[in-house]
Amino acid sequence: MLLKVDGLIKDFGGLRALDSVSFEVREHELVGLIGPNGAGKTTLFNCISGHVPVTKGKILFDGKDITELPPHQRAKLGLARTFQVYAAQGDLNVLEYTMVGAFLRTNGRTKARDIALETLKELDLLPWKERKVSEIPVPGQKLVTMAVAVATNPKILLLDEVAAGLNPQEIGWVKGIISHIHKDLGITTVLIEHVMALVMDISERVVVLDAGRVIKEGRPQEVVNDPAVIKAYLGESFRLEETR
Amino acid sequence: MASEVLLQAIVAGLLFGMVLSVVALGLTIIFGVMDIVNFAHGEFLMIGMYTGLLVSQYTGADPLFALPVAAVIGGLLGYLCYWLFVRLLLRGPMLAQLLGTFGLMLFLRNLALLLFGSEDRSIQKGILVGKSVVIFGSCVVPSTKLGAAVLAVLAFLGTYLFIEKTKIGKALQATAINPHAARFMGISTDRMNALAWVIGGAGVTVAGGLLVNFWAVNPYVGLLFTMLAFTIVALGGFGSVPGAFFAGLIVGIITEFPGIWDAISLWTGWNWMYKVPMISFKYTWVYLAYFLIMLITPKGLFGWKR
Amino acid sequence: MEAIRNALDFKDLPRSEVYLSWAVALFLIIFPLLPFSSFAMATMIQFLIFAVYGMGWNTIGGYGGQVDLGKAQYVGIGAYTTTVALIRWDIPFWVSMPLGMAISVLWSFMIGYPLFKLKGHYFAIATIATSLVLKDLFEVWGFVGAARGLHISPVKYPPPDFLRLIFKEDVYYYYLLLGFFFLAVFVMNWFRHSALGYRLRCIKDNEEVAKALGINVHWAKIKTYALATAYVSAMGSVHAMYIKNIEPEDTMSLDISVLIALMAMLGGAGSLWGPIIGAAVLVPMKSYLKEWMGAKMGLIGIDLIIYGFIIMVIAAVEPKGLWGLYERWKGKRSAP
Repeated sequence: MLLKVDGLIKDFGGLRALDSVSFEVREHELVGLIGPNGAGKTTLFNCISGHVPVTKGKILFDGKDITELPPHQRAKLGLARTFQVYAAQGDLNVLEYTMVGAFLRTNGRTKARDIALETLKELDLLPWKERKVSEIPVPGQKLVTMAVAVATNPKILLLDEVAAGLNPQEIGWVKGIISHIHKDLGITTVLIEHVMALVMDISERVVVLDAGRVIKEGRPQEVVNDPAVIKAYLGESFRLEETR
Repeated sequence: MASEVLLQAIVAGLLFGMVLSVVALGLTIIFGVMDIVNFAHGEFLMIGMYTGLLVSQYTGADPLFALPVAAVIGGLLGYLCYWLFVRLLLRGPMLAQLLGTFGLMLFLRNLALLLFGSEDRSIQKGILVGKSVVIFGSCVVPSTKLGAAVLAVLAFLGTYLFIEKTKIGKALQATAINPHAARFMGISTDRMNALAWVIGGAGVTVAGGLLVNFWAVNPYVGLLFTMLAFTIVALGGFGSVPGAFFAGLIVGIITEFPGIWDAISLWTGWNWMYKVPMISFKYTWVYLAYFLIMLITPKGLFGWKR
Repeated sequence: MEAIRNALDFKDLPRSEVYLSWAVALFLIIFPLLPFSSFAMATMIQFLIFAVYGMGWNTIGGYGGQVDLGKAQYVGIGAYTTTVALIRWDIPFWVSMPLGMAISVLWSFMIGYPLFKLKGHYFAIATIATSLVLKDLFEVWGFVGAARGLHISPVKYPPPDFLRLIFKEDVYYYYLLLGFFFLAVFVMNWFRHSALGYRLRCIKDNEEVAKALGINVHWAKIKTYALATAYVSAMGSVHAMYIKNIEPEDTMSLDISVLIALMAMLGGAGSLWGPIIGAAVLVPMKSYLKEWMGAKMGLIGIDLIIYGFIIMVIAAVEPKGLWGLYERWKGKRSAP
């Protein structure tokens, strides 16, 4: 078991954002995490990566209790993530930014540069390497942050809506990149995604979150036909249809 | 004896604090509405002080009659500053905002130096000047300080009621809480920002007009009050108007710490306490207080935003 | 050694910039041989001092985006350490300067730890507060001369004294400072290429992302702050030996702190050449304005009025500074 979330509770003031969430991710798996807006998906990621403290519960990573660790130490253990809302402002270019990720595993600039170039090549982003991140449109920036996360050489990668705002053709491209990261680079991946065409296609297993609880877990086909899931999505059922 | 010294220090601190809270009022409103720190705040105060001084000198009227003039000049200055300058700064990063207002501070300070010279100047005659009042039996207070404090409380109360009770004051608050939402409600952010600068400018120049009754003015007077105002705003909670009042009183008492120290040394009779040159550290405590407040309770005592 | 290789590696800069910087370096080396006035010489010395101050500030303020307005306290610690060491115990400069740097760095760790829990404006004002507290302390501390300050008598130490850094002619100071200046550029170039430099730029961009990439944000800021402090303190030591007269009001005032930040900002915060360009523009402008308009025309303060106005215009029009202006111009030119 690579990642185990056990009875996780997160309160924001009086609001319970996560209510006893438990799930597991096995090594080399690709898990999709879906649920209607406000279900608590991003909060769950924030708790796992350590960006928000948990109220109650445990997070085990690679057999170690990481519940109390600060984010940067979790990253050192091999936990990487991207952010749903992110807009670069600085003057780093894509290569330099990817090097920041690579510096987690080395202190040498030449070595970091080699790792970064290698990562960009693997992810098909090499043509962008001289561009400033802040000058790339936001959907593209998310792909860059994915490359930076991969450059940290993680054991697990948490992707938060990397395909939002892309057209179908670009989604196909991202799908290819994610499978490449998962299959060829062998990185366990958890994916938050609203684009069903993407998540249902490549996930091996899907976890459905609604109102802070896990309501269903299973293979993609099982999940979409589950009455509870359909009910949770009822208000947004059009979205299921539309984006498929 | 010790208790009299202590009472004297606390009363002086409270009265000064009442004036200080008006000094900080504009800063907290401006910060609350648009998250910008105005380094030239103390220079606005200095302008208010010179206004009071010059009006009473040239017209022969009592310096207190200069207050409306100071308010008009301050409001106008705030308005111009916003439209000609601060509006442009808002587009830039924080560094540009800080240094931009610092440039404004240098500009105003040295303009005063060029116009009025560097020497200390103070008010010589007026209704309150040179008289004193005895309160609480044994506590001697100069009438200038008492009068300034009373007027300061009135000015503060007026501004507070304006913000709390009028429609336009509420619009100002809405902009402070969430500019985007306020814009959707049809409130123009630009106009609210300008209003904040008008109130801020008028408030602090009035404070200057009050202060000049008992405090000599020179072109360099601003920085101290800028730092005092920053501390008050931090203590009261950035953006909180009632917070600024109570924090002003507290900071006023902190500035009288040497007097309190004297009272304690009288009371204990410890010799070493007399030897500490506490008067030289009059304002050091204020800076230390800022540092500690920010570490212990970053939201201040009456945190309103964030 | 990769660190030295990084310090000497300018290959990532456009070739035109490298050539231009060679030309500037050459000019700086032969400057004293050219027939310039002693006033120009004094101005050049100020330029070198403030360029190094600005480079130090640029690490934490420019690359890291942490607006530090308290650098004057480290000018003060550096200046006072060497001066006190010389006057009280006759300790030579080359010992007391590293000592001053050590004290400064120690102090920077002590206040940096709490300071960097704050962000944005709160941080900026807190740096001012710490600097003013230290200044108040120095103003009453008799051992370091209190408000009167300290004075190094050139009679007691006959110049030229290379050990104590007491010279009569400015040219000695000039070449010494030029050495420090070049060293500072190389250290800066190393920093830019180091893991810490990259991490700091990421922190400036987004702290949450930086944390997710395994960066200990708080510690990275403290380390960089210490580096900035070492720069400023070393230069403060030289500065004190040069002016030979230090008092809290001059060396530790807020104006010095802001001037240091301004150098970097005017030139372009977060770029290698920014602080140097900033100092090259601001220092001569300030001293010539003062000389011509202040002293000759008798208009006291007019230099600072103009100076303040220029700062306002730059902050309002091009917050990225002159370097930003140049890059914008270059971008327009290379665009199809």
